Amino acid sequence: MGFLSPSYFLFFPLTALVYFALPRQLRNGWLLLCSWFFYLCAGPEYFFFLLATVLVTYFVALSLEKNRKKGVLFAALCLFIGALFLFKYLEFGVSLLSRILSAAGLNWTPAVPKLLLPAGISFYFFTAMGYLIDVYRGKQPAEKRFVNCALFLSFFPYLLSGPIGRAEHLLPQFDGLHNMDDANIREGFLRFLWGAFKKLVLADRLAVVVDTVFAAPQNFGAIQVLAAACAFSVQIYCDFSAYSDMAVGSARAMGFALTENFRTPYFSRSIAEFWRRWHISLSSWFRDYLYIPLGGGRKGTARKYWNVLIVFAVSGLWHGAALSFVVWGLLNGLYQVAGGLTQRLRIKIRSVLPLREDGKLLALWQMLCVFLLATVAWVFFEAGSIPAALAVLKNMVKPVLWDVGGLPAMGMGRKEFLVAGLAFLLLTAVDACSLKTDPARRLARSPRYLRWCVSLALLLLTVVFGSYGTGYNAQSFIYGQF
Amino acid sequence: MKKWKEPLWALAFLLTAALALNFTADVLRPAHTDYGSTWDAYLCEPENSIDVLFLGSSYAYCDWNPGAMYAASGLTGYVMGGSEQTPAITYWYLKEALKTQTPSLVVMEATSLFFDRYQNYTQINLGYMPWGLNRIQATLECAEPEKKLGLFWDLYFYHDRWKELTASDVKKALIPARADRLKGHTAVDQIFEQTADGPFLSDMRQTEEVYQQNLQDFARIVQLCADKGIDLVVTINPTYSQYTPEVYSRLEKDVLSAGAADFLNWSNSFAEAGLDPAVHLYDGGHLNQTGAKIFSAYTGQYFLSRGLTPRPQTEENRAAWEATAQYWQ
Repeated sequence: MGFLSPSYFLFFPLTALVYFALPRQLRNGWLLLCSWFFYLCAGPEYFFFLLATVLVTYFVALSLEKNRKKGVLFAALCLFIGALFLFKYLEFGVSLLSRILSAAGLNWTPAVPKLLLPAGISFYFFTAMGYLIDVYRGKQPAEKRFVNCALFLSFFPYLLSGPIGRAEHLLPQFDGLHNMDDANIREGFLRFLWGAFKKLVLADRLAVVVDTVFAAPQNFGAIQVLAAACAFSVQIYCDFSAYSDMAVGSARAMGFALTENFRTPYFSRSIAEFWRRWHISLSSWFRDYLYIPLGGGRKGTARKYWNVLIVFAVSGLWHGAALSFVVWGLLNGLYQVAGGLTQRLRIKIRSVLPLREDGKLLALWQMLCVFLLATVAWVFFEAGSIPAALAVLKNMVKPVLWDVGGLPAMGMGRKEFLVAGLAFLLLTAVDACSLKTDPARRLARSPRYLRWCVSLALLLLTVVFGSYGTGYNAQSFIYGQF
Repeated sequence: MKKWKEPLWALAFLLTAALALNFTADVLRPAHTDYGSTWDAYLCEPENSIDVLFLGSSYAYCDWNPGAMYAASGLTGYVMGGSEQTPAITYWYLKEALKTQTPSLVVMEATSLFFDRYQNYTQINLGYMPWGLNRIQATLECAEPEKKLGLFWDLYFYHDRWKELTASDVKKALIPARADRLKGHTAVDQIFEQTADGPFLSDMRQTEEVYQQNLQDFARIVQLCADKGIDLVVTINPTYSQYTPEVYSRLEKDVLSAGAADFLNWSNSFAEAGLDPAVHLYDGGHLNQTGAKIFSAYTGQYFLSRGLTPRPQTEENRAAWEATAQYWQ
């Protein structure tokens, strides 16, 4: 049951209405039942994994609170990481080992069983591990009520694709009373609608161009390949931030505040800033539970850069079991290392040139650099393999700039491009607004006529210009596969 | 009162959104004035003014021209068929059609009894039905699973038409429909040229199970007619695309035992109806518009001879039918 499926449009209002109608002591139980039903819809065979995660997390947290034994935490983390390796990385690990051995002249090709990958496993395992570490560190008391603990791990808005929940932020909310609040409902609705617009009008429309060009970059001119790579940068932002918007919006309508996952990342002025504004719940998870325990920046510059590279390599692996994802992660890490190493030089250059540190021109230049660097890295993310990514990059710099097939050969007609362009302008305007205020919150509290006009316009634009229905290949959320 | 203010506003918003979406769907859904499923025009016919209601597939809407039948017999009629329409959908069509008309006779072209459970045009056949319980039940019962969502929400099928939208699409959504001269008929004007070898046998690809299911749906049509006191006649219209005599005789036995008043196998009645296959066939199966005019006149006169009489019409409606007859003549 995806957020944009008809069944969700029945499921969510029913869940929310019954939630508000029930007495307080039954509400979390109801939300838990609904969340489990939501997960069962993703595949009944996955439910065992979620249930096992809930049980292990609940009892280990209680045990850690009583006795802060490192061994118990270590065993639990090994269990989660081991399970993740088994289901997500076994095939990749064995094939990598086999290739290394083959390079060394040894022939070893074992048969690896195809294991199912439970939906959302990377997300709820990370939620569980973060919670257990917090309990072990004494930062967070263990949740005594099984229903609340289970709900914290299973809450349907973030269960399948995040934002990755933090106990200190969410558990108190499951304790609180959430009455039906008009402003919350309006804000949630607007947030959800904006997410639907980004996903259907922009992300899925751009996906056609990206898929067409990335499938055969040699058939296109350099500008077309570069445009497709840039389109993927926009597509993945719209796709994932749309999911987060819909998750945040669904939760908001019921009175819950989830972690914001994106803060206009392409307005960042450095790659380090980009990663503080992109997939925030994962970046902050890696910062708190990997980067800082590794020593962070406290053990000298060389160690700091080494830690950054480790974190980004792991982050790459988190996204997918393939070397291209590791390269994508490492490339982002290297950007940061290079950024750190050249920082003084760049400041010097700027002081020589008449560029003010707070000037718009410099900010725009830096944003452009971040976008282009991120785009190069995203090529590895999207291409599926390193040779395929290199082929895309190679075709960006060939002498033929534009193939005769033009726009239609890229999978979209002129009108489609126009719609994508206008939608992108709207996205940029809304993102620019969100630097100063929360547009959904502000609009939800604005005069009724304005709310209605904006909501109806957004609804009609999404419904008419969205990529769905007959003649379209419905695109699943990119982050749904993680 | 204050407690209900916001929920009432929310309800008003939902209603406005539904109306806006419905209007958008009306604009984006292509106009449909022929090739069956012409519900907009059908619903504009004055209530209880139709003598004969024709049902079935393209064999019904190509072969019968109610305007020509009126000119020859004074009987009013309407073809409420659809492309490759299965008997199950025909049942729901009849149920919906009888909401505004009380025909004295229902004539069903029976080739659809040899159709599969799902044919090619479910989207059109059901998508143009008026909204209501009949459409909902028809969709749940007769549509392919992958088409159900679009049949409940038109924009799923048609939202992509924004690229080809013209002013006439907006006009069509704003201006109410009117009764037309086609009366459900589709006039096709080509002439079938391969008539030298005479009729040919159509492939019978249907399974026995599907045939039995179609007969059950047909039995529902019979029952509905019986409940409303309407005679039901089943026909096979003049065609070169034929089945074997054994198939036709089994069909006759089955439809009569289901309760149809009559079974008229006109598949070879070209001369009797005044038709010349070399001139009046559109393709192997259907009649062209000249053939349809002749055959419709023949059909009207046939039913007159069997005792069916035209019902009185208002002066306004009589004039409208006269104009329609004049147009086709």
